[in-house]
Amino acid sequence: MIGWISLALIAVGAFFFLAGSTGVLRFPDVYTRLHALTKADNLGLGFVVLGLSLRADSWIVVLKMLLIWSLVIVAGATASHLVAEAARMSNVPPWRKRS
Amino acid sequence: MFGIPFVALATGASLALTPTREWRIRPVGALRYAGYFIQQSVLGGIDVSMRAIKPSLPIDPLILRYRMRLVPEYARVLFADTVSLLPGTLSSGFEDDTMTLHVLDCELDVEQSLRDVEERVADVFGLDLSVGGGELAAIDGGAVGEYR
Repeated sequence: MIGWISLALIAVGAFFFLAGSTGVLRFPDVYTRLHALTKADNLGLGFVVLGLSLRADSWIVVLKMLLIWSLVIVAGATASHLVAEAARMSNVPPWRKRS
Repeated sequence: MFGIPFVALATGASLALTPTREWRIRPVGALRYAGYFIQQSVLGGIDVSMRAIKPSLPIDPLILRYRMRLVPEYARVLFADTVSLLPGTLSSGFEDDTMTLHVLDCELDVEQSLRDVEERVADVFGLDLSVGGGELAAIDGGAVGEYR
């Protein structure tokens, strides 16, 4: 039973990774792609960590994965801020919807 | 195993090199923040995923500027990182008291969500927000909310 729940959680995580990567391919400029990368991958990794936690042998392993997740969140959010700032500094024009 | 002494050394070195620890974390505020953060980042991930896979690609981006009420730098960093994981907003730089952000859809009520995040962050560190600000600001002499 736990094996199936774990599998389902990992599959949900994989879905968000896939959706995030789809966004990186389909979104029109660097800013919108950063949205997809940071937010979808953060959530995807969260689900994968949850799923793997159910299979973990010890609490130390769970704590380690939660630590990795939180570091990825901080690093991802900070890096996307810096990339977006660098793009603005070098005058990369943001894509706009034609109205 | 080899890593353990180095982790201890690096932690010690970074603590010793930090000038003064000016911030204090309030456990209750941190817990409230954690709950809010998890909820919002789930919504943020779902929102951007749906926009990415819908055939019509429903985005209408805009760059905005927000006048922050949070003053200390450490609080602004937490604020910016949180904003980047919220539905549709991405922090992209600081100038004076303002934060520049990229918004995925100009239909979103960004001002209200930014004010909410700011209050949660202030709650974590026990900061006072009555210094003014807390609204969208004009970009480079343009109108508020105008695209640059």
